[in-house]
Amino acid sequence: MSDERDDTQPTGPALGKDEWVARFGANRVRRSGALGVLEQRLATVSWWAWLTLFVAVIAALPLGIESGYVRRVAFDTVVLMLLALGLNIVVGWGGLLDLGFVAFYGVGAYAYALLASDHSGIHLPSILLIPLVAVIGALAGWLVGLPSRRLLGDYLAIVTLFFFQIFLTVTNNGDNVFGASITNGPNGLLNIDPLSFFGWTIPRSTSEGLFNVAYIYVALAFFGVVYVALRFVNESRTGRAWRSLREDPLAAEMMGMPVNRLKLLAFAFGAGVAALTGTFASALNGSVFPQNFEFPLLITVYTIVILGGQGSQVGVVLGAVIVSVLLEVLRDANDARSLFYVALVLGLYGAFRASTRLVVVLGGTIVLGFVLRTVAGAIDGSWTAGTAEDAGRAAHLAAEWVIVPLEPARWLAPAAYLVLVTLVLGLTLVGGRLRLAALVPTLYLAAFVWENVLLAKPEATRYIVIGVILVGLMIVRPNGLLGEKRVEIV
Amino acid sequence: MDVFLQLTLNGLTLGSVYALIALGYSLVYGILKLLNFAHGDVFTVGAFVGFGALQLLGGVAHPAVPIWLLLVLITLAAMAVCAVLGVAIERFAYRPLRDAPRIAPLISALGVSFFLAYSLQLLFGADQRDYDAFNLGSGVLFMTGFTIPGTEVRVPLLRIVVILCAFALMVVLWLLVTRTKTGKAMTATSIDREAAAMMGINVDRVIVFAFVLGSALAGAAGVLFGLRAPFYPSLGFLVGLKGFTAAVIGGIGSIPGAMAGGLILGFAEAYTQGYVSTRWSDLIVFVILVTFMLFRPQGLFGKADIKKV
Amino acid sequence: MRKRGTALALTIAVTAALASTVGSASAASQAISCKKTLKIGFISPLTGGAGFLGEQQVSWVDLAVKQLTPAGLKIKVVRVDTPVEKGASEGLIAAQKLIADPTVVAVIGPATSGAVAAATQAMFDAGLAHISPSATRTSLTKGDKKEGTPAFFRVVPGDYIQGPTDANFMVDKLGAKKVVVIDFQEPYSAGLADAAEAVLKKRGVSTTRLSTSVTTTDFSSLVTKVSSDTDIVFFPAQQPADANTFAQQLIEQGKKAKVFGGDGTNDPSAFKVAGSYVSNFAPDITGYAHTKALVEAWKADNPSEKTVGSFGPPGYLAAQVAINAINLACNAGGGSIADRREVLRRVKKISVKQSILGIDFKFSTKSNDPLNAKFYIFQIQSDGSYKLVG
Repeated sequence: MSDERDDTQPTGPALGKDEWVARFGANRVRRSGALGVLEQRLATVSWWAWLTLFVAVIAALPLGIESGYVRRVAFDTVVLMLLALGLNIVVGWGGLLDLGFVAFYGVGAYAYALLASDHSGIHLPSILLIPLVAVIGALAGWLVGLPSRRLLGDYLAIVTLFFFQIFLTVTNNGDNVFGASITNGPNGLLNIDPLSFFGWTIPRSTSEGLFNVAYIYVALAFFGVVYVALRFVNESRTGRAWRSLREDPLAAEMMGMPVNRLKLLAFAFGAGVAALTGTFASALNGSVFPQNFEFPLLITVYTIVILGGQGSQVGVVLGAVIVSVLLEVLRDANDARSLFYVALVLGLYGAFRASTRLVVVLGGTIVLGFVLRTVAGAIDGSWTAGTAEDAGRAAHLAAEWVIVPLEPARWLAPAAYLVLVTLVLGLTLVGGRLRLAALVPTLYLAAFVWENVLLAKPEATRYIVIGVILVGLMIVRPNGLLGEKRVEIV
Repeated sequence: MDVFLQLTLNGLTLGSVYALIALGYSLVYGILKLLNFAHGDVFTVGAFVGFGALQLLGGVAHPAVPIWLLLVLITLAAMAVCAVLGVAIERFAYRPLRDAPRIAPLISALGVSFFLAYSLQLLFGADQRDYDAFNLGSGVLFMTGFTIPGTEVRVPLLRIVVILCAFALMVVLWLLVTRTKTGKAMTATSIDREAAAMMGINVDRVIVFAFVLGSALAGAAGVLFGLRAPFYPSLGFLVGLKGFTAAVIGGIGSIPGAMAGGLILGFAEAYTQGYVSTRWSDLIVFVILVTFMLFRPQGLFGKADIKKV
Repeated sequence: MRKRGTALALTIAVTAALASTVGSASAASQAISCKKTLKIGFISPLTGGAGFLGEQQVSWVDLAVKQLTPAGLKIKVVRVDTPVEKGASEGLIAAQKLIADPTVVAVIGPATSGAVAAATQAMFDAGLAHISPSATRTSLTKGDKKEGTPAFFRVVPGDYIQGPTDANFMVDKLGAKKVVVIDFQEPYSAGLADAAEAVLKKRGVSTTRLSTSVTTTDFSSLVTKVSSDTDIVFFPAQQPADANTFAQQLIEQGKKAKVFGGDGTNDPSAFKVAGSYVSNFAPDITGYAHTKALVEAWKADNPSEKTVGSFGPPGYLAAQVAINAINLACNAGGGSIADRREVLRRVKKISVKQSILGIDFKFSTKSNDPLNAKFYIFQIQSDGSYKLVG
């Protein structure tokens, strides 16, 4: 991993890297002053110290905050982190586009549910069951990989997608396999045993119905183990082989690498991690349903891996935290509103830095808002008589600046949304003063659409944001936040 | 016999819609080697645009123009909007990634697909909608038609319209690709993009052309589907998956292959539902396809991909 | 290495942001003052394929809160989305989020039976009453393996009434000999289809069970499988447009069978093939004198909705029950609620004269189901109107 190497020291061209990329760190101007010193000091802290700190921070979270909501989100975040680590093996290291990944999470969850619930009458102890399920998952990955291993790129993607669909069809119809109920179909499996170790059962919720913190610690423990294990795998011979497979499968084969075996290994490892995650997720939820493992989850995990940076373990963990928190913040209109305006201002700052242009654009937008709102209010009072979504000071402020009609016409939302999308896309085509000038109305329109259209349906908005992140990242920064910059030498 | 004929008719109707979608995948894949996941959602947009156009023209109850013209107009509206959408998707989501690693445009395509599906839901809600073609002109599309001689199988007008329209579009496409200069440039580009560029072919224009054609067909498919069955914002993913499958069966990149693949898939679905099981039909279809891809990944009409190093 | 520093800083910032947005609300059981804003949770799919369900319900819940909140109380609805695509476990996640907020004193929902099964135990432990306006699976309130806890209530009768009512009507009134029963591989239709099929079989009707995916909308091959001597197709779809299409395709292929839809298909603007049958838990709420004002008020609040769907009004009733119970608890506690259980204890006692669903509403003493609830059956007339036939 690139973040292992000390970028500040100029080294020769690293093996397998373009020279320019290798010298990139050295070419970067080193920060001066206290920040620079701090940065250098931080650079000497080893990875396991960071890992311990990270785990400790999450572990401390429930101590300070009693809210069961935060605990639940923390748990879900750890689940996403583990899934992202698993997908990172297949996509980030192996370079294989596996669109069936979430099915292995499902296999794990269903395997746990079947081997520890009243439905089947089997109640295996967790200590035995969890490794068993991980192995089952890895085997399933191996089996799916077996026929797919000869396929490349897109064909692999589509075959794995079919396996995903087959998994869904089977679980959905498993309530009537020649009359026997295996998966209980769409009604799902209920009353799954909670985790129990050495006869000591961990209840799901405390006596007050609150989320049991112990599950966060269990999940964190798994996270720690998986993270460290994968780190060693990545630095082993297999890990290096995977990366060469990703960069150029043909060349890798020429160099005598067992390409097929490597692909299968990547599949099996990824599937094993996913299945492992499925065990304690289904133990906590107490139920599994086929719909737990549908397409939106797959896209979410992909977004995490892409955002964090394919191939970087630190990156995908960070990506999981960001995406998970982002999706939660977007749920609530007030938080989503703050996030939107902060992101807008930060984005402008990122683009213009502290310059007159920043002042012009920001000031222009603010003035334009007040002017338009006054004009609209003067023409027809009902145009500005609406109230913004959710109460609170921010909502009040926003409604003073943005036009919020009382009863918007039915065509208004689609029209405004379409115009906004067109304007934003158009902005990427023009440059110079024109862009600057067009930016002001676009920003105001964005605020208008955000207040009137997007906040009204936070559920759809969340996934629209995910879609935009995926496309935008691919174009602007395909290596994500912490991914290794890949240079294709043609 | 009646059942068999009826199932064949069902398969033909469904299959011709799949074929239209498959063509879009095939055209784009042939040239860009890009699996355009957003294609299925372009199809849904087409269905919605047709629905909107229908309402603008007075709706089913009081159409402002004769029925045949109404059908033509809503199809053209959907095709036009989808063509523009296709060009926009290519320009903003795929072109910047033309030289990126193979995985990048695929992920971008997933993002576009998600964006389109949820934008539709944002704007129009999650409810199912239908054109209610049944009540158009007091049922003329359903009640008239002919009965296949010697059987009781009726072929209503709407099915004839859907099937004929689909095939007409395919023929037009075939002529465009084989007879026009741009079409030939497309073929050349799909064989070897760099060589084509060196021969003076404007590759960008050819790619845009492919997106225009493919997306317009998807828009038409959306309307033809919407005339017969309800649709909803997230429909595109599954239908798109089937369209892609059809393209793969036929041999991706091949136009006759996409047509054949669409029909095969339509028949396969109809016959499994009719003779085997409605419950397991999806599973059976998918298993057949996986098997197919494993043993003949180049499809029926495709040529085996020989890799040059 | 610089990256990792940034990474850590970002992580901490994000975690802190999360912590601050949520606040350190403690859920310890302390008295809740009725002067503060009290919250009613609302758990239902608001997006995805069943998004229409939650959208309809929440519009009526909002109306109820607006109209019925007693003077001196402030009540706010907290929506939690549980898209069916993400599975019923979302119900539990939603419940845990609501439980965490001590000012949430009652919950409307979960809307789907699966979500109820997943969430009910946690809510029972927390003493949180949850009143569903649409979960109809029989086993939630009845049987040896009862899935619902005593904290679960529903204001609509379960499949144990609708399925048999429909089946008996087919046999007694329509004289059906051959019936095709269809389900859509999702819990709602599977439960109803099972309930109806059992009665039909018991009464000696020849039944055929077909099953199709909920994502399918072109039913022509299913229609082909309906034999020409079939009298009725029981079609408990969630979407009226599906039933409409199925009925049209039956006509297209020259079958004489009539479609019989469940409460999910009850929508005169979308399901209008003459001769079809529809069952619903209320005669037609727009048909009552006492609901006229309500429907008008709802239309004023929701100008973009064309018709009153069938899933929405029970949301009003559920909210009405919740608000009344909260009010009673506040009065009994002298301006504060000692514990959510105070609300839960009072839900069962609530009765509503001339409820929005037509009947005088009251819970049964044996289970947490509505008393005397029955299903009504309509036949669609050639002008598209629904005529009450049973």
